Amino acid sequence: MKKLFIILGLITGALAVVLSVLPTFKIAFIPAALSFIFGLLAFWKSKKESASKHTVQLIFLFSITALSLATYKTIFETNEVGDIEQLEKREEESLENSIEELDEELEDIDIEE
Amino acid sequence: MKSLFSILLFSVVFIVGAQNKTFQSGEKLVFTASYNMSGLMTDIAQVSMEANNVKTKSGTLLHLKCAATTYKKWDNFFKVRDLYESFVNPKTVTPYLYKREISEGGYYKYVKYNFKHKSKTVKSLIRKKSKNFESGFWDRNNTIKINSGTRDIVSTIYYLRTLDIKKAPVGASDTFTVLFDNKETKFSFTYVKKETINTAIGRKECYKLKIGVANNVLKGSNSNFLWLTADENKIPVFAKFKVAIGNGELKIKSATGLKN
Repeated sequence: MKKLFIILGLITGALAVVLSVLPTFKIAFIPAALSFIFGLLAFWKSKKESASKHTVQLIFLFSITALSLATYKTIFETNEVGDIEQLEKREEESLENSIEELDEELEDIDIEE
Repeated sequence: MKSLFSILLFSVVFIVGAQNKTFQSGEKLVFTASYNMSGLMTDIAQVSMEANNVKTKSGTLLHLKCAATTYKKWDNFFKVRDLYESFVNPKTVTPYLYKREISEGGYYKYVKYNFKHKSKTVKSLIRKKSKNFESGFWDRNNTIKINSGTRDIVSTIYYLRTLDIKKAPVGASDTFTVLFDNKETKFSFTYVKKETINTAIGRKECYKLKIGVANNVLKGSNSNFLWLTADENKIPVFAKFKVAIGNGELKIKSATGLKN
């Protein structure tokens, strides 16, 4: 049972750290919390059996790192739009072409109607 | 009998009443688009809607432009740079030219509609990338017959704002025909209720509208809603939608150049 908690704790902890680094950091809270819980369960089992707790410490390290990183990013990270130079160029070209096209297509139409 | 009369009155308002007193050249609305990932709403893109005057030889049109741009952190995974444009009559919001140019994670598509309202047809061009052609693009030209009142998606959203919703009773609905991907699709909007919600531009009393689409582009019968401010501007401030790949939200971030 202790081994199961350790394995699950390590998997969810590693997943949480990976997710917390990516733009999907908000999802990292779920595996980070699960990793912490598995860590606690593994710690309790280790204490009962008076076994080594090094692996359990690693699980806590993963979960706390992931939680800290995800929390920091949630509070401090701002949304910034990426490079839009090409989009702006497309917009300008499209507008020029559109005006030319409309001048041809709407020759017999009075917009005030 | 009273509710039947109200519904008829509302329908007449929809058909007859819409002269644009709601938006003007210079208006700019900016939204944050979020997508539900494992139960958590994650901000993924900025959507902007702008209206500007454009002078042509036949008169001044309103250029309605919607652009969607993924945030910098997502560009390395799935870069979106979409541009939707519609050139419309400033009073009736009748479209003359519609363009849609999308670039999404390497996928490119260009659509152009020239509306010919007298003959009730649309000259359509759909362009996609193709290695089989020297130009690198595959063009498909068509002439499509449309019903009177058919609009493109951009002009439909702006046209909705010109309707006199304050006279509508709860439960009243209307259907609009939108030309999208060369097919006429019916969108229905039902007035659900007035609701006050918190937005980035303040606490706003809004008209809550339920959106229905005939061909199941939007999923679920009770999952797609739009909130328009209950004032003369009728700004869209919040929207919830459910599509094939999941569900998301659109939240207003800023609104400038408002007419009223």
